[in-house]
Amino acid sequence: MIDYKNVLTTCPYCGTGCALHLQVLDEKLVGVLPAKNHVVSEGGLCIKGWNVHAFVNHPDRLTTPLIRKNGKLEEATWDEALTLIADKFGEVKTASGPDSVAILTSAKCTNEENYLLQKFARAVIGTNNVDHCARL
Amino acid sequence: MTNSIPEFETDTNCFLIIGSNTSEGHPLIATRVLKAQKRGAKVIVLDPRKNQIGHWADIFHTFRPGSDVAIFNGLMNVIISESLQDEAFIAERTEDFEALKTLVAEYTPEKVAEISGIPADVIREIARTYAKGKPAAILYAMGITQHTTGVDNVKSTSNLAMLCGNMGILGGGVNPLRGQNNVQGACDMGGLPNVYPGYQAVTIPEVQKKFQDAWGSAGPLTVGMTVTEMLHATQEGKVRALYVMGENPMVSDPDLNHVRHCLEQTEFLVVQDIFLTETAEMAHVVLPGTSFAEKDGTFSNTERRVQRVRQAIKPVGDAKEDWIIICELARKMGASGFDFQSAQAVMEEINKLTPSYGGITYERLEELGSLQWPCPTVDHPGTPYLHKGKFSRGLGKFFALEFKEPNELPNDEYPFTLTTGRLMFHFHTGSMTRRSKKLDSEVPEAYVEINVKDAGKIGLNGHKRVRVTSRRGEIELGVRITDDIKRGVVFIPFHFAEAAANKLTNSAIDPVAKIPEYKVCAVKVEVF
Amino acid sequence: MTDRLTTLRKTIENVLPNVEGVLALRIGPGGITAPHLFSKEHSEELDKLALWPKEPVPDTLKIILRAHPDAKLAIVCRGCEERGIVEMFKHSQLNLDNLTLIGLQCEQDEAEFCRCAKPFTVHSKLTVGEPIEGVPDPLTAKIEAMSQPEKQAFWKQEFEHCIKCYGCRNICPQCFCNICALEDETWVETGRLPMPNPSMYHMVRAMHMTAKCVACRECEETCPADIPMAVHFRLIARDVREMFNYEPGASMDQKPPQLLVLEEGEYERSGLPH
Repeated sequence: MIDYKNVLTTCPYCGTGCALHLQVLDEKLVGVLPAKNHVVSEGGLCIKGWNVHAFVNHPDRLTTPLIRKNGKLEEATWDEALTLIADKFGEVKTASGPDSVAILTSAKCTNEENYLLQKFARAVIGTNNVDHCARL
Repeated sequence: MTNSIPEFETDTNCFLIIGSNTSEGHPLIATRVLKAQKRGAKVIVLDPRKNQIGHWADIFHTFRPGSDVAIFNGLMNVIISESLQDEAFIAERTEDFEALKTLVAEYTPEKVAEISGIPADVIREIARTYAKGKPAAILYAMGITQHTTGVDNVKSTSNLAMLCGNMGILGGGVNPLRGQNNVQGACDMGGLPNVYPGYQAVTIPEVQKKFQDAWGSAGPLTVGMTVTEMLHATQEGKVRALYVMGENPMVSDPDLNHVRHCLEQTEFLVVQDIFLTETAEMAHVVLPGTSFAEKDGTFSNTERRVQRVRQAIKPVGDAKEDWIIICELARKMGASGFDFQSAQAVMEEINKLTPSYGGITYERLEELGSLQWPCPTVDHPGTPYLHKGKFSRGLGKFFALEFKEPNELPNDEYPFTLTTGRLMFHFHTGSMTRRSKKLDSEVPEAYVEINVKDAGKIGLNGHKRVRVTSRRGEIELGVRITDDIKRGVVFIPFHFAEAAANKLTNSAIDPVAKIPEYKVCAVKVEVF
Repeated sequence: MTDRLTTLRKTIENVLPNVEGVLALRIGPGGITAPHLFSKEHSEELDKLALWPKEPVPDTLKIILRAHPDAKLAIVCRGCEERGIVEMFKHSQLNLDNLTLIGLQCEQDEAEFCRCAKPFTVHSKLTVGEPIEGVPDPLTAKIEAMSQPEKQAFWKQEFEHCIKCYGCRNICPQCFCNICALEDETWVETGRLPMPNPSMYHMVRAMHMTAKCVACRECEETCPADIPMAVHFRLIARDVREMFNYEPGASMDQKPPQLLVLEEGEYERSGLPH
């Protein structure tokens, strides 16, 4: 069976907020189609938007957690990585106070992710040391 | 942005674009402006470089980087002395006009011409065109904000807009063009040290209580650290652990040699990203997150428009959606309140705690496509333009602001002013666009742009590469000679880690906004 | 008389059991349409079948056929899209044996929107709607009536507004070269905006559209700068008609002029119709 779909989404580059369809064939990204009658982009895109699918499956993508051992980043399981972070954050928080942890959220991530990460900073760690690169 | 993008094409009669290379930074906003020009709107562009939209402007002029406040004061001087201001708007909706009037009286076009390099007659012409072009929109980007006087620059834009009644109207307003897909949303969601979601201040006890009640625990009543402060604090051991999601300070922050030193000092660095970025390479733990194509969620664009991001494919390899990673980590630390089954469920919590997002639900986004905040309830249509009838603080305040020089000025040793920025073909630190074959083939490597006369002066004669040095570092890179850049100014795009413009930039910051002065520092350019 | 949408839905329902999918338009979130592959397994999706705005459906067909060359599909096509499919066939981009064409006749307002001379299908055996006459192209007429200096000034402005998105090329159902002249630095300088010579980009593209452009106007539709580039393609098409008596997509068996001089053996190897 041929599985082809156009998934309507929002461009991840600049702040204009152009809409585009990701063309997905048999669960692989194969291209981009602009969205006609979209209020901002009106069926157009810039050169970045037209090529937005290109980096997603790049061989450089990180596909597994990494932990530094003997100075080198080595592959690890999710459980190892998250346990290590939870332990270390807990230890730093207890020993030096919540404000010894700092967190950078992201202008590239979603609203939901930004919400959760600042909630994590404030409710779980207990610090307002949360910022992102809005100024950069 | 106080306006909406579609208004530019249909309603705006005059554009004043300053500190925005709109054609490259926001191509599909630039094309709207040029369409408006075809129906008769006037386009004024001020920039140290004659960019694409500058070529088509009705009035274009270069100016000395960092002289923005003086320019705005000069424009207001002309408008007031020729009685072109909107008296009714000033009387009904603003305060502190007299102080402004007194101060700008000293900024005659002749004086401003000396500071900025824009001839007095051109200043007069711009002032008249703007004042008579109602509704008029000011468009700006980081060229206004990335200065040690960034806040003064921004206040100057609103001074000018209010002076001519260009606020709270269709097509007229002040429009910062946000550079990243969701920088608006990251701010809206409280990704800032001073506010909870919806800009609710951390210093207000009732706000703290609201979030304590909702989350079971909340942050302290004191404002936290900004990026720059966090990095400094790692050196003194005040910050021991740093968790970075989807950011690359090793390319994006000023004075990179210093950033590297700080990150090396960090006892425990966690980086969550999609590539092993320059920052991730220094981490103790790296978590593989997902790109926009692999997850559900929303982005908020520069005109406060909230739109869906939809999962098109499964996460690559063992990578996980970033919102799932955060929830798993929180649960690992024994926290409750992180049991979300979907991004939609997270939005439902946002709706409850963020007044401006109260009515922005996935159901409505599915039906309407997008909603612009403020949108407090599910029957609210959203807000295309802000400040209609009333400012959020009540009366609009004029700020009488003196011009101040940038932190670092050129001298005999470092004779050029370096300004940094973006290219249309690349995005931010390049981790995505430089891995896109087509975009990489357009501009595969860094270069410095220099005026043709300056090139002759430093002995550039067929040389392909130059060395650019500031007080903080040096880089070697290609060179492009052009007459589209002001003499004495050089430009370097900051996308290229191997010749990172931010090795040169000055980390001096605006005292209020804490934004670094990327747009002005002193450098020398040498052939070798 | 039932409306086109209802008739089209019924036609697709009848075709669905015999094919692996039917390519047509579907209304998505926020009322935004996109090409969609309707299948018999999910025939309920036909509730969201849409007619307008026109989308580059043949381009989607091209993408699917690259991965599934033997797929048996149907496609809903307007006159221009049908012409596009015929030209793709002549240039060995698809096999018509496996393709069922469902012709959708344009209505007056649609034809006027596209300034279309031939808003009807001629090859599709299944058709929906009544064919109408072509409409004049006032924009082409207006530009043609300009003086030479006026024309130069007009096109200079249009081309210099170009933001080099490559959208016109990307969306064109007739652009399928593996190596594109528009990415050759000989013709188009890389990495510059404003482009040092934007007319070179557009003229090279216009030449490459010779005897290929089927006047679907997807290029103009996707252009963020609203450059009316189809005007060139139409004027070139007029010359091709006069010189070679060739109209892209009009007939199944007429050889395109750019392939006329191939030797017989070479021509056969190309897989083109004889």
